[in-house]
This record gives sequence, C-alpha cells and structure tokens, in this order.
Amino acid sequence: MQDFRKISENDNVAVALRELLPGVQVIVDGGAIRINDRIEFGHKFAIKEISKGSGVVKYGEIIGEATSDIKPGDHVHINNLISLRVRRAH
Amino acid sequence: MKDIKGYWNDDGKVGIRNSVAILPLSVFSGVAALNISNAVEGTVPLLHPHGRAEIGLNRERFHRNLVNQVLNPNVQSALLVGYEHKTTEKYLAEIRSKTKKRIESVVVLDKGTIESVAAGTKLAMDLSSAASEVTREPMSPADLCIGIKCGSTDGTSGIASNPAVGAAVDRVVSLGGTAIFSETTEIMGAEDVLSKRALNSEVAAKIMNAVKSNEEYALNLGVDLMGVNPVPDNIEGGISTIEEKSLGAILKSGTSVIQDVLPFGGIPNGKGLYFMDSPSAAQEVLTALTSAGSQLILFSTGLGNPSGTPISPVIKVTGNRYTVKRIPEHIDVDVSGMIFEDMQRSEAGDKIYEFMLKVINGKRTKAEILKHREFSPVPVGL
Repeated sequence: MQDFRKISENDNVAVALRELLPGVQVIVDGGAIRINDRIEFGHKFAIKEISKGSGVVKYGEIIGEATSDIKPGDHVHINNLISLRVRRAH
Repeated sequence: MKDIKGYWNDDGKVGIRNSVAILPLSVFSGVAALNISNAVEGTVPLLHPHGRAEIGLNRERFHRNLVNQVLNPNVQSALLVGYEHKTTEKYLAEIRSKTKKRIESVVVLDKGTIESVAAGTKLAMDLSSAASEVTREPMSPADLCIGIKCGSTDGTSGIASNPAVGAAVDRVVSLGGTAIFSETTEIMGAEDVLSKRALNSEVAAKIMNAVKSNEEYALNLGVDLMGVNPVPDNIEGGISTIEEKSLGAILKSGTSVIQDVLPFGGIPNGKGLYFMDSPSAAQEVLTALTSAGSQLILFSTGLGNPSGTPISPVIKVTGNRYTVKRIPEHIDVDVSGMIFEDMQRSEAGDKIYEFMLKVINGKRTKAEILKHREFSPVPVGL
C-alpha cells in the first residue's frame, strides 16, 4: 500500500493515502521529502517549493494560488491555498 | 468479448430491461398508478408529486421528462394514468407521435380512483403479457447509452471511483456507444478545462454558459455558489477549492470529445459523449439521465448512496473500502484496490465494464434488488 498519490506528472502537491505524521520521510520521484505537518487521509502536501502567488497544481491543473510560501512536506489546504475562481466571481 | 443481448422494441431500439411503465401524469393519479403496478407483474410505477400548476422552465422540464421516460429503450410499453381528460389526451397524442410502442391510458377524474385501478389493471395485464413475449436478442456496445453520476463524494472519489468510471466510459465511447454526464454545479471551476474537450467553439461556449447562467440564477436568489463550495465536509476531507472539487468530479466523464450540451432530460441526437446542463441532486440527475435514453447508469460514490431509477439499473462504484464494509447493500463494484493496493485505472475500468456487461445481460444491481425507484421530473435544487 502506498503512502501517497502524485496524480499527474506536473503536480506540485500529492495526496496522502494514510495519515502522515511530522518527521515521516516519503520518496517522491526519487527524492526524499520530510513531512512537516500532520497530513490526514485525503489531504494534500507539497512535493515542491511553491512560492506565494504561484499556482498549486493537482490533476495537472491549477487548483488555486498559494497565499504564502510553501515548502515541500507542508500541508496544503485552505490555510495557504485560495481559489482563483472565487476571486474571479466576486 | 462477452456477448450482450437486449430487448428490441417497436422503435427499433434495444433496452436492457423490458418494463411496462405505469406513469401518473399528475400527483393525484399516483395512488391509482401505484395500485395498478402493485397488481401487475412486470410493471414499474413512476411516482412523483408534480403535474399541477408548474410554470415556466419547470413546466417544460416536467413535460419533457414524462414524455422521454416512455421513449427510453428499457420501456417496452406504457400505461398513462391521467388525472383529467384534456392533459391525458395531449400526452397520449404526443407520445404516440414519437414512438411505435403500445401506449394506453386511463383517466382518474372519469370514474374515480377505484374504477381507474380496475380498468388500468386490465390494460396493464395485457401490456405485461405482450412484453413478456419479447426475448433477449444480440446487441452491440454501440447500441448503449450510459448515464454517469457521482454522489456522496469523499476523498476517495477523485483518485479512485471517478477515474475508474471514466475509464469504463472511454471504453463505451470508443466502441461507438453514447455516454452522458451532468451536474453543472459539479463542473464549476473546471469549465475551462472541460470546454477544451468540446467538439467545437460553439459547444465550448455552451459549457461556459451553462455554468455562468447557473451562477447568475443563484446570485439572483442571493446565494453565491462560489462562496459555499467546497462544503464543510469536502474541506474536512481535504478538498481546498472549487477547482479541485470539480477537477476530481469531471474525471468520471473520461477523456472523450464532448459532442454537445443537452437540456435537463434532453435526448442526444448522435453518438459519443454529451454533457447535460442539470442540477446535482441524485434523484433529479438520475431521472434526467433516464429521460435522455440511458439504459444504465454508472454511479461513482465515496460514502455510499442508495438511489436508483424505476426503469434503468444504476451501478454503484466506490473506492472507499470502509463504505463497502459498512453498507455493502448499496455498492456493486469495489475499486478500493486503486487506493489500498496496486490496482491501475485501466484495470478498475475493466472491472466496471465487465460488471456492466453482466447487468446488461440481466444481473440485477443492488438498487434494483432493493426497489430503489426514485423519480423526480421537476428539479428543486441547483
């Protein structure tokens, strides 16, 4: 059983397939990433540096924009990711 | 490949079920319709609380859904249970002009419920007897029209059941069949991505417009759909944005070109993949997909959803192993191997496809066995 799933080639986040605790190491595309936060099943963590204002990519598509600098292993969720669609609608 | 067989009807179309539809035209003829259906083997009732004083778009949708249910290939013949004469005659004439199937009618206001049940039961017996003479004959996957739906979504849907269903859908379309997915609120945020798969710029514009008009309709009611979606349980499950939610949802449509956008309950006029502009509640979408002619429906679910239709089998697919354990009576195909083992998308798609072939040949789905026959021809939600 895998610990996580990177869905698409260009994704900069992966989905945890079980709870991952801080300090755990996962191997993504041959490189080691240390998990920084508690990542629950189904939640996302960064697998690349994502700087503030740049796109978060899942399914090979931009799912929103980083609201702060995100490091590999960080939990990526509503605390540091905002929809571009919502902003456009308002 | 396994041979598939179905029931060819008088329209030259093939159904995978062979039902006599007992269709009340109004809420008041529902009791008669139910009693007739209870009395006669081989019939299904299409019960609903509508048919009085609907206006505008909802009147149009109600009418289209009632007529098109009878046209679905799974319906061999039908008994219309009307409330008053004028409307019953109107439906009878319109449906008979669109199909060669045998269509009968009774009118409740004529002689009351009790005598209408007696008269309707005699007619339904006759229809049931004739339908039972039709035997299964060979059909091809190109004769298939399948509906696609997701509901009670969770964190497993976007990585297991939706892509798995999408793989099965791709296979049906590549074999010359037809498939229809819908739920306009579930493509919001992914409409740009989806419109790139449109047949041409006109179809792409229709996809974008469906989302836009849905959003504006809600805004006029004082609701900002973008502000309420993803909902709290989605967020708890790890979904952060509307884009992410919808990108996961559209995976159930596979990768085929989108031929056109259909109205709620509208019938496609060609083969391939179609998008239907519709609300997202399961009972409404399933009704509209069967109106569009779907002989069966693939339903991707995370937490498990019991719903079915009166005339077309619904196949429930989940990637959530805990759902399979908790409520096995609502799950037909388990693709949790995509999460907990090394099952590939194509393998999961094949598993669904193989199950589909069995259902086409007569295997009953869980929703059929439990008589989940929800029918909702007038949408209430978005």
